[in-house]
Amino acid sequence: MADFGMDDEDLEQMYQEVILDAARDPHGRVGDQADGGEDSDGDGVTIRVEHEACLAAESHQFNPTCGDQATIHVEVAPGEQGGPDLIQRIVWQGSGCSISQASLSIMVDLVQGQTVDHAMDLAADFRKLMESRGAGIEDEKAQDALGDAMVFQGVSKYPMRIKCALLGWEGMKASVAQALSAGRVGDKAVKEEQA
Amino acid sequence: MVIDDSIRQQFPILDQQVHGHPMVYLDSAATAQKPLAVIDAVRDFYLKDNAGVHRGAHELAARSTMAFEHARSRVAALVGAEGQEGGEEIVVTAGATAALNLLATAFGNASLGRGGKAAQRFALKPGDEVVVSKAEHHSVLLPFQELCYRTGAVLKSFDLDPDGRVLADTADQVITERTKVVAVTHVSNVTGAITDIKPIVRRAHQVGALVVLDVCQSVPHLPIDLHAMDVDFAAWSAHKMYGPTGVGFLYGRRELLEALPPASFGGSMVELAYLDRPASYMDPPARFEAGTQPVAQMIGAGVAADWLMDLGMENVAEHEKAIAIGLLRVGELDGVRILGPTTPEDRIGTVAFDVQGVHPHDVGQYVDSRGIAIRVGHHCAQPVHRHFGLMASNRASTGVYNTVADTDALLDAVSGVRRFFRVA
Ligand SMILES: Cc1ncc(COP(=O)(O)O)c(C=O)c1O
Repeated sequence: MADFGMDDEDLEQMYQEVILDAARDPHGRVGDQADGGEDSDGDGVTIRVEHEACLAAESHQFNPTCGDQATIHVEVAPGEQGGPDLIQRIVWQGSGCSISQASLSIMVDLVQGQTVDHAMDLAADFRKLMESRGAGIEDEKAQDALGDAMVFQGVSKYPMRIKCALLGWEGMKASVAQALSAGRVGDKAVKEEQA
Repeated sequence: MVIDDSIRQQFPILDQQVHGHPMVYLDSAATAQKPLAVIDAVRDFYLKDNAGVHRGAHELAARSTMAFEHARSRVAALVGAEGQEGGEEIVVTAGATAALNLLATAFGNASLGRGGKAAQRFALKPGDEVVVSKAEHHSVLLPFQELCYRTGAVLKSFDLDPDGRVLADTADQVITERTKVVAVTHVSNVTGAITDIKPIVRRAHQVGALVVLDVCQSVPHLPIDLHAMDVDFAAWSAHKMYGPTGVGFLYGRRELLEALPPASFGGSMVELAYLDRPASYMDPPARFEAGTQPVAQMIGAGVAADWLMDLGMENVAEHEKAIAIGLLRVGELDGVRILGPTTPEDRIGTVAFDVQGVHPHDVGQYVDSRGIAIRVGHHCAQPVHRHFGLMASNRASTGVYNTVADTDALLDAVSGVRRFFRVA
């Protein structure tokens, strides 16, 4: 029989220092009150936008088995004249288990200020890591790029927890895609800017 | 009969190591483990008697049909329902969820005029009310909420006291002349609290409303007499009462089942079928049992019912109360809050708790590493978690095979959780 659980040693492996620390005070988390929580103008964005020139979007992620939830908010600076699109700001609201919280925190550290292409590459590598069933990934460049996120290798052994680790990354991908597609077809914010 | 540790010998699954520890199973509210008597009955049936029921005339078909109907009568006996042929009050379904959906769909069909005049007592129209409670499992809440959306009826709910117990003494206010259906849980699968159904039944019947009781969490743990409780319908699953998965029950007072229109259509529920005229349907319970039935599972369920009656439900309740007292001590640990009554009166041994600062997913992982199985999440009951200001919780629940050593193991494990996750 496959053993999907863990003994004490596995437990330490899953909950490494980096994860426990990040989960206690995760980066990028914004409070409920200070930053809204109501979509007052119906544009799908609830967290206050800081960079007016950016394309803002949010993605709400929910894990129905355990109730982890996060709204990931991005502000993307569109690349001018063929330049790269940049993730100017990424913050989130939500709550969940330590795996989901730590993964959100480390994801924010990795993609904040980076190009969208780089963030998407990281997300793809992280997914490969999480699908590795504990084996990890061989690509050393990807390992270096993922940095702290490599600590989730231990989590990838546990099918019930992979979703927790992926929650933030999925939200980042979805919100960035939404920001860019809204911008490309001329979203409300962009049009108002230009008017 | 006093239930002691020797009962565990009837549950071979309990005798295993998990992650280097003796397994402690505290998740019987999700599903109970099966005694050998049930496992053997299912195996024997497949070895010797397997055939469909109520179809065909060969020897095996006859044996299967007899065994199936015998099982129905044993299940009826367990809950004080009528089991005699021609008076059956137990409908076999795929489970509690299927039973509740069957009932809500049948009410919906009656609301569309199906089932003729006799079925009008189940019909809902705009402005009518359906009452549930904030402690409902989604399997009660959602079928009846959808029924309201389909018919224009209004969904109302009983509030809960700070312990999460249904405020039954507000029945006179919550249930009104417009109320047609009251669907409530007998025992919450989160708080473990037993609902005081007397005032609810009294008031419902005073205004002519039907009472639907979710007995999923009471039948396996308490003596139940549905006639004495005077409810109109009830639903539960075999797998929580030591029987197989894939089978459950809808109880209905005979007179009501006879008036209720069918909800699921197909083979074995119809007397005469035509291409150009409506069919005529069979009497209950067959009217509600379309398609090939879960025969082996039902036979296992009948054996489970007998097995429980042999133990004596009073004895089961008494044994589990002792275990519940052990589990409730978890509330004395630093940073641990019980969601539900903190004393053993009027509750069963299903104990949900919150560990301050540690998400249930992490608590579950931690105690699992010590070989202990509890449930974490919202347990398919989100509104009651909202009542406690939470999204999810941890839940330990008892079965006849649990021991005080099991509760000690849980307490020991939970007491280490906050330190491990650096919140204490
Ligand atoms: C109180 C309660 N009601 C309804 C159900 C639904 O039962 P099932 O999932 O077996 O259909 C359950 C169990 O999941 C329950 O605990």
